[in-house]
Order: sequence, then structure tokens, then C-alpha cells
Amino acid sequence: MAGLRHALKLFSNSSNVSYHCTRRLLNYSAMAYDGKADPAETFFNDKVQSLLKSLTRVDYNKVFKRRKLGEKHLSDPVYKFMTEEELKEALEVAKETAEELLQIPPVVRVRDQNVKVLSRDPALQGLETSRLVFIDITYGTKDSDRLIVVREPDGTLQEAEWQLRQRMNQTYFPQDKKYLETPKMFEGEYFESLLDRHQYEYILDRACIQFEPDDVEYQKAVTVTYQHVNDNNKFELLRSTRHFGSLTFFLVWNKIIDNLLLDLIETLHIHEAQDLIAVYSLVHKISFEGEQPLDQIKDFIKKSANKKAALELAIQAYEDTTVERAASF
Amino acid sequence: MAKNLLDVARSFKKLSINTKCPNQIRLLTTTPALGTNFYNKLPATDLWKGITSVSNAGKKRGRAKTVSKKNIKDLNRGQLIGVGKANIVWPGLSAPIIRGKELVEQIQLPANPDREQKLIQLRDTMGARKFAKLSPLERGWSGSKMPGRSLGPPDPVGEEKFEGFDSRVLELRTIVIMKGNFGRKRRISSLVVTGNKNGLGGFAMGKALEARIALRKAKNRSGQKLVKIKLFNNHTVCHHFFTQFGSTKIYVWQKPEGYGLRCHRVIKTICQVIGIKNLYAKVEGSMNVNHIMKAFFLGLVRQKSPEEIAEEKGLHLVQICKENNFFPKIIASPKQCKTLEQLPKDANLDFNQYCFDGKVVLQKKKKEPFYTKLKSYHSYLMKYEKQRDQQEVRSSLIAEYGEIRSFLADQYPECGQYRPPKRVVESEEQEESQ
Repeated sequence: MAGLRHALKLFSNSSNVSYHCTRRLLNYSAMAYDGKADPAETFFNDKVQSLLKSLTRVDYNKVFKRRKLGEKHLSDPVYKFMTEEELKEALEVAKETAEELLQIPPVVRVRDQNVKVLSRDPALQGLETSRLVFIDITYGTKDSDRLIVVREPDGTLQEAEWQLRQRMNQTYFPQDKKYLETPKMFEGEYFESLLDRHQYEYILDRACIQFEPDDVEYQKAVTVTYQHVNDNNKFELLRSTRHFGSLTFFLVWNKIIDNLLLDLIETLHIHEAQDLIAVYSLVHKISFEGEQPLDQIKDFIKKSANKKAALELAIQAYEDTTVERAASF
Repeated sequence: MAKNLLDVARSFKKLSINTKCPNQIRLLTTTPALGTNFYNKLPATDLWKGITSVSNAGKKRGRAKTVSKKNIKDLNRGQLIGVGKANIVWPGLSAPIIRGKELVEQIQLPANPDREQKLIQLRDTMGARKFAKLSPLERGWSGSKMPGRSLGPPDPVGEEKFEGFDSRVLELRTIVIMKGNFGRKRRISSLVVTGNKNGLGGFAMGKALEARIALRKAKNRSGQKLVKIKLFNNHTVCHHFFTQFGSTKIYVWQKPEGYGLRCHRVIKTICQVIGIKNLYAKVEGSMNVNHIMKAFFLGLVRQKSPEEIAEEKGLHLVQICKENNFFPKIIASPKQCKTLEQLPKDANLDFNQYCFDGKVVLQKKKKEPFYTKLKSYHSYLMKYEKQRDQQEVRSSLIAEYGEIRSFLADQYPECGQYRPPKRVVESEEQEESQ
């Protein structure tokens, strides 16, 4: 009898396992910037920055689209009479705001996980049973520069590791909407469901608030999202947002710009395609010859494209439409 | 034949009531004068009338109120002579004596239980008249009253079918006038508003002797008096405005989507019919339905479109919303924009003041509840201050750990929430021990 029960238990366990196996898992791996080359050097290059900004294609209707502010009702609009000069001034202010809103999140290498040991004092061994954390809460220092050290029970004095740093910073200098624990939306099925619903902007915005740019978790969330956008050709969802620059840089860095280039050619944005190739050549130090933008693109397709056939077809279609247009005028 | 007749006579004999009581005792003292009973003095109709109605003089003294119509039931209705509880065929009463060539016999049929039920049902329907129950969507402002109820589109006139129109009753009341030869003459007056929910609206009054006819008249007349009303983005009024008819003053505010209609029910109904979805209105002065309606319609008709406002002022009209990050959205622009020097010195550049024509709306301070002045309320606030965030902490703990627990719970399990240990089934334990 006992043997039978044991067998039944085993059976129930195995059925449990099979249930877990049948669940769909996300088939993207994080492509964090953890190699030897530092992306920051090229990313903060002025030329690259201006090219990425021009690729973002600023549309004020999208930058200033109606957002949910967490209130029950929409606020009453304010109406104003404005002269030509006043209107120009107001639009100028709005332009500055847009500049601020569209600042591209920095692309940097993943942070170094090693902690620096400041001193080893074996004499203090066993004085305390727990770790003591010291934090300098002087007003005006940056979160990244703040002095946070730990005295271990074995008497070692060392800098705090990154998780602890983040926790202490958030405890003493809390930032709005940032949580001590990583929100559940960045994990497993919740994250997948967000991706399936194409809520890219929401994921990326929240990742910017929750994490530091050199955090492994940030780079994981962001790069998986970028890959999903690229595979689903949903570039339009991120255009005119601050994340389009980072997305483009990610695609260029990993040499997977074919989908984006195809999208640009198909929508007849040939100058933007030229800009994209310019970023590619700046990042990978490859030059593409040709005076006209179309020649440069062709050269790129010949030298370093992954989806040559599709791109060549798109170029052919583009040339046909331009010829047709010229004929009709 | 003779035998049959004999049988009939025998059966009659059986049924005849035995009038001779075996031990008959009569108390002469209690018997009233024979033949002068109250019930046989008057005919049945008079007796019935006496119970169910009140004399005119009585009515004037207020006696009619005591006669409950609910309790007046004619028990004779639905009953036939010769048909009763005992289901018996009475030849000559409930059946013919001779059917064909045979004499019909008196027969006891099986009891009919449905008869009693049907009688009770019939009696229940007597008394007070019951109104059919309205569905909540069809109801008006109050109970089963007409005001606020929908009448459907006006009747078609020739080619015009009034598709997409809906009419609503605003008022239905009895009016009385004195006539030289008739004296008081009553009529029913009704006020109806109609519209296509897309910027067309009209109203009319109809009078008739009957409510139904008055409503129909008003509905059809309102279809003939339609006016075009400008809407802003197809959901609200073009701008705030002030409007007045008689001593009824209305302040109307434009509102964003999702606000709804917060105003007097007359204005709300008119808005629903015209197609305005968001608005706030404050009525001051007289609350006469007719005047509110007229004032509101006047205000709607006098609205200016944003383009007209911009052209009149010679300036851009710009909308600034918090949700759009304060981006200046141009609503309308004039053909020729004025500069600051060109504007007159006393030009009113405040949009709200321009809309209300310089009138300032009295913003009353909200009255605090009485208990805020009590000492106990103050002490409650002091006590509550400690726990003001606890609910949030609790919900975040439940979200994180699935229970309310201390930060020490990892080290000391007793700091977590207490859960009773699971009961082990005894029989299983015994089996295992064996």
C-alpha cells in the first residue's frame, strides 16, 4: 500500500514538472554592453548624438501627446489670447521642453561588480555580529559619488556593493516611483505579457526610473525590449520618444540594422537611411563610398547587410517610385 | 317516461332543505320587526353604492379618503347561478332539463380546483389600477412621472423622417383658465425638447385636453423649430458663457472629456438630446423649467466658434493642457494678427472674463462639516496621524510577501503572520506506522 502511495506521489510530481515545462518562455537573451569595448565613447560623440536625434524624427503631436497623470479627471484646459510674438515665445519654450523630454538615456558599459577593500583590521574581528553600513548623507553630492562603506564582521572595511548602494541611496534620498525591490513587471510572464501587448514605451520609461544605466538588470530589460521591437518592426511606436536613439544605437552596435533600414527605405525616408549608415560607419569604423545617399546605401548592402535580397528589392522599388513620380510631374 | 319523472321528483326531494328543525327554539325578544330589515328595505344597487362611494356632501368633508378602492371587490363577478364549489349539474338551472329525447339527470361531477383559483385571481385584479412597471432606462426624472421620459422622434412630415432624433418631456402640468360659460376649464400643457444628438435641437409647448395629445403636439411642433448649435470637438460647448432669460441666470462652463453633465436636470436632458456630453452649469435665480430651457437655448445659439473669437479679438486662441505638458495648442488664428501696440489699452485679454462678459462668478467656500470644530475630532486626527500610511504599507507587504510580516521575519519566524498548522489526517498516520 505504502509502495503504491509512493508511486502515486512520484507520478503527481512528474505531472507538475511537465506543467512547468509547457509554459512558454521568452526566447530572447540579454545583449548587455559587457564586452571589452566601451559604447560610451562613441555614444557621447557629438556627431553620433546629432545623427541619433535626427533619426528620432521629432513630432510635437507625439512628444506632447495626452498622458495619463494618475488623476480621476482630465484637468480643465486654460485658454489664452496670444499675439504673434507671444505665441512664438511659447512655442520656443515648448521646444526647449521637448529637447529635455527627448534626451536619450545614456548607453554605457555594465558596471564593475568588484568592490574595493579599504582596509583589513583583524583586530576588530568578532566585535559585531552584523555588517555596519556607513553612509555620508551630506547634502548636494551625487548618488553615484556618495560615500557608502561597510564594516564586515571579520573586520574588513570595504565599499558597499551595488545593490546595497542602491538600497541606501533610495532609503536616504528617495526618488519618486522608484522601489527598493525590482517591480514584478520586469520579471517572467509579466514582462512577456507587456512585450506581447507592445507596451515598449512604458517598459523603457519605467526602466529609466527604476534602474541606473549601468545596471545589469536595466540593460537586460532594455535590450530584450529592443530586440522585440526590431523583430516585430514596431519602430513607429518608439519614434519621437527619447528611446529611439538608444534603440538605434543598440541595433547599430550589434549590427542588426537591416529591419530598421528596410523600414526607412520603404517609407521613403532615404536621408534618414543615410544617417543610419553614417552612425554605422562611425561606430564600426567602416566607410561606405558614394556621393548620393542611395549609392552609400547600396554600398552598405554589398558590404555588411544581413538581409541582402530584401534590401535590394526595397531599393529597386524605391527607384521605380522615384522614376514614376518624376514622370508624373 | 313516467319512471323518469318520478326519479326527478325523488331527487328534488332529496335536495330540498329541511325547514323543520327538530328542536326549534325561537327567542322572540331578539327578533326585530319582521319585514323591515335594513337589507330588504333598499335595492342591491343602492346598498352597493352606499358601501363603495361617498355622497357629495361627505366628499367635501373629506370622507372620500377613508373609502379604500383597493378593498372594494364585486364578489358576484365571475360567478354563475347554479355553478359552485360542489361541481353538480342541475337540470333546469345549469343544464337543460331534456337533452334530445332524454331527461338530464342531476350528476355530481369531480371537483374542479381551478375554479377557486380563477376566482381569487379575478378578485385580485379588482380594486386599485396597477401601472405597468417601467424599465430603468425608460424612467424619467422621478418615478413613473412623464418629465424626463423619452417620446421617440417627431412624426415624419412628408420626406423628412427625423432619423436619429429623440424627444424628451421637460414639463407636463394641468393648467386652468376661467371661461364665461364653462367656468373653470382644465387643459394639459406639455414642454418637449427634441434633437438629433449631433448639434440640432428644438423645443415646443403643446396644450390639449388630454396629456397624450398635448405631448404629441409638443413633440411634433418641436421638430419644426430646430436650430443648429455649435459644438466644440463634438462633445462640449464652444466656450464658457453666461445667459439669462427673465430672472433665470445660467453660468455654463466648458469641460474636458470624461467630466459628464453636472447641471440642473432640465439642462442635462437638453444636453443629452442635442449631443453635449461634458459641461458644468450653475443656475441662479428662478428655477422655472420654461425659463431655464429658454435661457439655455439662447446661450447655446449665441455661442461663438473659436475662429469667430480669434477674428473678433485679432489674436491667436491658444489652449494649454496639463496632460499635454503645457504645449500651446493653437485652436484658432485670425487672418491678420494684431501686435501689442495695436491693441486698445483697456482690452480684456483674460479669456474667462471675455466669456462671462466681465461677470465674476461667486465661488463659495465649501462649508466644513460640523464635527471639525469638535475637540474629539482634533484628538482623532492626532491619533490617526500615526497610522495614516499603514494601509499602504500593508498592501505593499501583501504584494511583496503575500502576507503582513515584520522585516525580522526571515530570522525570527514568529514575527510573521500566524497561520494555524495544517491538520494531518490521522488514518494516514496510522497506516504509515503500520
